[in-house]
Amino acid sequence: MTNDILVITIGAILVNNFVLSKFLGICPFLGVSKKLSTALGMSGAVIFVMALASLVTSAIYKYILSPTFTINGTAINLTFLTILVFIVVIAALVQLVEIILQKFSPPLYQALGIFLPLITTNCAVLGAAMLNVQTNRGVMASTVFGTCSAIGFALALVLFSSLRERLDLAKVPTPFQGTAIALITAGILAMVFMGFSGLV
Amino acid sequence: MTIIITAVLFATGLGVFLAVVIGATARAFAVEIDQRVETITGMLPGVNCGGCGYAGCADFAKAIVEGRTIPSQCPVNTPVNITRIAEYLGITAGEKEKVVAVVRCSGSCAVTVRSPYNGIRDCRSAALVAGGAKGCDFGCIGFSSCARACPFNAIEIRDGLAVVHPDLCVGCGKCVDTCPKSLIVLVPATVDVHVYCNSPEKSVLKRKVCKTACIACRKCVKAADSENQMIVNGFLVATNYSNPPLPDLIEKAACPTTALRLASKHASGAYEGVLK
Amino acid sequence: MSDKPRKFKGGIHPEDSKALSASKAVQTAPLFDKYTVIVHQNIGAAPEIIVKKGDLVKKGQLLAKATGFVSVPLHSPTSGTVAAVEKCPGPTGLNVPSIEITADGQDEWCSPFEPLSDWQNIEPSILKQRVVDAGIVGMGGAGFPSHVKLSPTKPVDTLILNGAECEPYLTADHRLMIEQPDDVLIGAAILARILGLKTAVIGIEENKPDAISKLTGIAGKYNVTVQSLRVNYPQGAEKQLIYALTGREVPIGGLPMDVGCVVQNVASAAAVFDAVIKGIPSIERITTVTGEPLVNPGNWRFRIGTPISKAIELAGGVKYQPAKILLGGPMMGFAQNSLDVTVMKNTSGILLIPVEHVSQYTSEPCIRCGRCVECCPMDILPATISQAVENERFDWAEDLNVLACIECGSCSYSCPSHRPLIQQFKRAKAEIMAARRKKSKK
Repeated sequence: MTNDILVITIGAILVNNFVLSKFLGICPFLGVSKKLSTALGMSGAVIFVMALASLVTSAIYKYILSPTFTINGTAINLTFLTILVFIVVIAALVQLVEIILQKFSPPLYQALGIFLPLITTNCAVLGAAMLNVQTNRGVMASTVFGTCSAIGFALALVLFSSLRERLDLAKVPTPFQGTAIALITAGILAMVFMGFSGLV
Repeated sequence: MTIIITAVLFATGLGVFLAVVIGATARAFAVEIDQRVETITGMLPGVNCGGCGYAGCADFAKAIVEGRTIPSQCPVNTPVNITRIAEYLGITAGEKEKVVAVVRCSGSCAVTVRSPYNGIRDCRSAALVAGGAKGCDFGCIGFSSCARACPFNAIEIRDGLAVVHPDLCVGCGKCVDTCPKSLIVLVPATVDVHVYCNSPEKSVLKRKVCKTACIACRKCVKAADSENQMIVNGFLVATNYSNPPLPDLIEKAACPTTALRLASKHASGAYEGVLK
Repeated sequence: MSDKPRKFKGGIHPEDSKALSASKAVQTAPLFDKYTVIVHQNIGAAPEIIVKKGDLVKKGQLLAKATGFVSVPLHSPTSGTVAAVEKCPGPTGLNVPSIEITADGQDEWCSPFEPLSDWQNIEPSILKQRVVDAGIVGMGGAGFPSHVKLSPTKPVDTLILNGAECEPYLTADHRLMIEQPDDVLIGAAILARILGLKTAVIGIEENKPDAISKLTGIAGKYNVTVQSLRVNYPQGAEKQLIYALTGREVPIGGLPMDVGCVVQNVASAAAVFDAVIKGIPSIERITTVTGEPLVNPGNWRFRIGTPISKAIELAGGVKYQPAKILLGGPMMGFAQNSLDVTVMKNTSGILLIPVEHVSQYTSEPCIRCGRCVECCPMDILPATISQAVENERFDWAEDLNVLACIECGSCSYSCPSHRPLIQQFKRAKAEIMAARRKKSKK
């Protein structure tokens, strides 16, 4: 896997969009996308968490958990702790975000509601961390990958929430009202993003 | 063995470190939440009708906790819950008289003159076109904007006239804001005698466009028990809600146009077809 | 000003139906025995009535005086007695205050103003005061007090005379330009003098070639240029007219003076001529009485307060029952429910529409065809605004600039689903203004 930053960026944002190509992080994608303002707030929180999480987790993996960690010359393989450690780190970061948000922007905190702590169990964040581990990138590249994946998530979320705001005004047939038409729209949006495949 | 020790040490160390960081941040950025607001919101009906004058039940709960209002201000809540809220906070529930809405017009399609209207079937939009295409500029247009706005389905549209069912109405006032002719008023629920006309125009002009208009003949004023039970305002008579007449005024006055009605009987359609 | 007229964005081309009355010379209506003059005939504050029942009045006498700056006085159309001061049916369907005058048959003037034949040497402020005193309002249909437009608070370099008359059926301005070209041009020169300008330009749509050639022949004498305009509704709307003639765009929410222009209707210019040169107030105007159901459609000079029932009688009555009677043009006129409504200073037309031209429609959902967006001259999105209004999202409608809508009717005309777009926009504007008033009261 090449370390080329540009390739990682375009790949993470457009070609392998976390939401629309990999189908990770669908929970906040459908839950927070009713209004553009909450979508933007959520995107900001996710970008912050994923960037920091990628940085911290890739560093911990490279220097502590992976077999490169040596004590007295013996390689200590702590890879079995990966998921545990990653989740603890991500949970702590999300908790920090929650505390800061509640202090500095109570309306946004109220609007995001339950979806903020759900970033913890969000497969998108853990997915980015695990993908970094699998593809054996350096710490810098991993952080870029994490941030760009989050930007891709934000892009999908903003696009989708704008669509849903317009869907609100349309006359949707009764069997399709609510989540049903939202899911169909998400599917069509995913098909649209398939057009980027093969770009990198 | 080394692995196990390293693993345990590392995991514990990480946990302790993160706990310290989070604890410190929580202490530094602490926010005061009043738990009482949430508890009281749970004791409210949750309809978010706005009848209390605040933006939804949560906002009303906040106002109660901050002492800006009293629990009985909510017209929808049950007396049991109002008392519970009062006890929870250790304050008095307060008294609020029950009010209901009255649509002060009796001009259904059968008794009024109307022009053919082809447009949006919504009262606020129709009012912008020739004042509602009805002969009387002050009467009910009848396109059910108030009925749609009522969260309790207390308003029925009968033959192009909005009629409030007083037993279903809780007095939240949503219909009052919706009516473009300001026809609807909130009155004490105990009063049953009303004049169902809203037009201050000259009686001669009123009669040309509506058979059930109030012509200010003053028969009800004279037949009332005391002088100021019915108030005369130019060419329109109205009930005095601070000193209301008794229901027997209907028979005693024998209103020639049936503008004077009992709300309960009007809601059941007893006055339809009375005038020929 | 270029030779080839600019095309403004959008617009529609409805059938112009002007042949019914375009060639009919203006006839002066006879003196009727009763005139019911509506008091509030202008945008702005209503004038204050100063006569009462039983008063004797002469022709041109003051009936109501102006209240404040954005208000105009009202004068009597004939001599006689004030029979009553009460309500009568108004043009918007509601009953409005009016003054009923029983004519005494003498039609005696009270000679209120002194003719100012030497206007080229008279102070502009005196000329403007004459415009105020004569009660002149925009006679194209809006009824905005003319003297307010003549008192711009920003520098102005162009005076535009509106001779477009883009509404179908209407031919009043057309006949005025053919029969009284000097009145219009001298009126334009007087207006230019009031504004401190040396020249003026008249815009006339290409479907009136006789008016264009007649005016072009003599316009040079008064320093007025005649510019022909493409036939495109709503060419006569202020902002579109300014763009076509000067290429300047009035900003959204702005006024013509923001781009240095003042626009006046040709009939208003002729009224200014009457007020300054002849010394008579605004008490009559040319109105087109037309429509297929009429026996004899044409153009008449009516006094204010003439009931439209009399106007229809003059046109020979009807061959068959019309489906709608409109005051104004078919695109922006108001449907009437009473024949007792009377002619006002801004009544440009009385239209009788047969049933086959009136669409009794049921409105259907928007199919996103985009015709409304294509034809909107103000460059807003009627389809999206309509959706927002349907869902009572007036905040969204405000963000989409519904307040910039000039209610020309092009979108309603083009919509294949027959959606009542203009009524929805009127509703949105009313709700937005009511919400603003409520907020400012708090």
